[in-house]
Amino acid sequence: MKDRKTIPLDTARLRLSRRAVLRGMVGTAATGLALIGAPVRIARAAPITLQYQTANLTEAQYAPVWKEMFAKFEAQNPNIKIEPILVARKDHWTKFVTAAKANQAPDVVAVDIATAAYNGYLRPLDDLWQAEPASYRQVWSQDVIRAAMWKGKLYGLPSWGGIYGEIYNKEIVRRAGLDTNKPPATWKDYLEWAKKLTKEGQQWALAILAGKTDTTTRMLLMWIWSNGGEAFDPDITQATFASNPKALEAIEFYLNLDLTHRVGAPGAVNINYLEQTTLFAQEKIATMRNAYWGVAKVVGDNPAIKDKIAVAFSPMNTDKKVTLATMAADSISKDCRHVEAAWKFIKFVNEREWAIKRITVSNWMPMRNDIAGDPEASKDPLLAQFLEYGRYARAYPLPNPLWADIAANDIVATVQSVLLKRASVKDAFAKLDADLNRKFKEL
Amino acid sequence: MQIAQAGGWPGETIRPTQRRQGWTGQGLKRERRLGYVFVAPMLLFLFGIIFFPLAHAFWTSLYREAGVNIRFVGPGNYARLLDDPTFWNSLRVSVVFTAVCVALHLIVGMPAALFLDQLRRGRTALRLLFLTPWMVTPVIGATAWVWLLEPHFGVVNYLFRSLGLIAAYKIWLGEPGLALGSIITVDVWRGFPFVMLILLAGLQTVPREEYEAASIDGAGALQRFLYITLPHLRYLLVVATTLDVINTVRTFDIVAVMTRGGPINATEVLPVLIFNTAFQANRFGPAAAVGVVLLLLLLVFSTLYILLLQPERTWARVR
Repeated sequence: MKDRKTIPLDTARLRLSRRAVLRGMVGTAATGLALIGAPVRIARAAPITLQYQTANLTEAQYAPVWKEMFAKFEAQNPNIKIEPILVARKDHWTKFVTAAKANQAPDVVAVDIATAAYNGYLRPLDDLWQAEPASYRQVWSQDVIRAAMWKGKLYGLPSWGGIYGEIYNKEIVRRAGLDTNKPPATWKDYLEWAKKLTKEGQQWALAILAGKTDTTTRMLLMWIWSNGGEAFDPDITQATFASNPKALEAIEFYLNLDLTHRVGAPGAVNINYLEQTTLFAQEKIATMRNAYWGVAKVVGDNPAIKDKIAVAFSPMNTDKKVTLATMAADSISKDCRHVEAAWKFIKFVNEREWAIKRITVSNWMPMRNDIAGDPEASKDPLLAQFLEYGRYARAYPLPNPLWADIAANDIVATVQSVLLKRASVKDAFAKLDADLNRKFKEL
Repeated sequence: MQIAQAGGWPGETIRPTQRRQGWTGQGLKRERRLGYVFVAPMLLFLFGIIFFPLAHAFWTSLYREAGVNIRFVGPGNYARLLDDPTFWNSLRVSVVFTAVCVALHLIVGMPAALFLDQLRRGRTALRLLFLTPWMVTPVIGATAWVWLLEPHFGVVNYLFRSLGLIAAYKIWLGEPGLALGSIITVDVWRGFPFVMLILLAGLQTVPREEYEAASIDGAGALQRFLYITLPHLRYLLVVATTLDVINTVRTFDIVAVMTRGGPINATEVLPVLIFNTAFQANRFGPAAAVGVVLLLLLLVFSTLYILLLQPERTWARVR
């Protein structure tokens, strides 16, 4: 056997082979670059792709509408493809922020306008909006358009929303010996109903929402407003949960439904929209405060409940009726490279045809002001009721750049601390006021 | 003196002087340069995915953002952490969570490993069964647990009440103490197979003769465990514990899915605090500062782990 170490090195051959290796590497790199470059060249010639992200694309009740809508838009605009970004509602904001931070935000999005605009994630739409004829712009009321503005600039075209009402299970109401035609209009009546609708350990009047999303805050605000209270000053620069007596009284009444009267389903700190609608669909709770889309959700979960549903205006403790309406607006992100195509798409998805389909199929309320009299839209009596409630609605989210954070974290943590008996309502909300005011000051 | 040539032909030898000359020659310089060329792509890759993000995270931690306005605050974010009760709460939760989980991984993993080691039949099938929780994606496992622990119609409440273990349905993820206990339980369910696997590998190297000799001398099961098994596993126990601490202290997915850090921040471990601060509060500078602190904590355990992997120099001293 030959000793390998004694074999003289053929240095010339080795050099040659090294050169060959290096040549090979360079060749491979060049081929790689060529291959990488090829799709880029192809992409340039390919149709425009617009990414579209909203909170509700993954929800079953909206799927038939957006699929049809995208197909029709693509058929009319063969050079534009729509790529839906499918993300669960609770991860919608996180996904958007992550993408925006990486300068890869989807082209068209529906997000919290104040927070997103403040952080520079959106492109102002004033130039595109002003270029539209007045007849087009008049389809949206000034109030609705103002709700999509931040610091005097328009950042979104209001598309759809949800007007909140009190949804009852008529059968449970009847079984409790209550008159379904006379739903409670005042807090006092509501409390009486709630006690009768609760069978301890089996069924409850309502679900207090205190889970870690902003639906907790929506409920709290509605109760505060229904007492004539205010949680913030008009500029949203001061929190007044504890310092406004009417607000404090409303918070105490609402949370005592659980703490004192035990008419709320157990586990409030884990309950949000999803859990609330599931409990209602399973007939574990007799009422739920929700938007029209909540009806579609529970009917989807339990079709047998469809004919048992009744809607009424939420009970008030003041003469002035008020409810809450959320608003989603379609915006163009700062990273969009095809602004004209994006605006074209936004206009398309907000056409009358799709606004009506969003109502009739998905139960999303329209933001256009030319739908109310539509025969198709007014067929459903529940829808007509919700549209009527819209006259008393205050817009949500509130226009503050910290809103996404304080609505889903600070306010929720305070509600939880009271429900878990870690602090009294007054102390907990006084601390919340102080914390929020400090945050507002730092802005 | 002759030194055996590693990797050479049987019986082949080389003189040290010959080797030293080879390592300092001109040819070697070329070899070394070529070596750098070959490892350069991997170095670039590592720079791109490890060093650059780390440096960027540190750089981010020196800034504070207010919308589109970003200002340099130096160590300001770190100074603020010291006064932030949320950070101290998260640190406390992280320490409790990690300590309890790691201890329970060992307490459950050791008997499981001993049991599997004793088996003569069905060992492979049982080993696979025990490993199943570890193979399940954490997010999927945690989602399943959320429904099992659901307070109104969850299986856990139903079973416990049927067995008379609880008088009324529990809100497992709604009470601070129960929520922390629940996520610890899920983490133990998911994490003990890892420790079990390491210890099982160690158990299989313990010479059977030692057990036989001890038995002949009248040693009982406990004595055999204390005086034969444990000393043999001592090194692996320390390695497994160190690795497990590193794994557990950065747990995010289970907590994010099950509680998002709630209720009232009772389960907000440091990685969840980073997530909430960055992506919900849009405060990337302070979030990066927490991330750097977490990295330093991990570095302590990683250094310990690296030292432990040098048994000749370090472990001998420990022994």
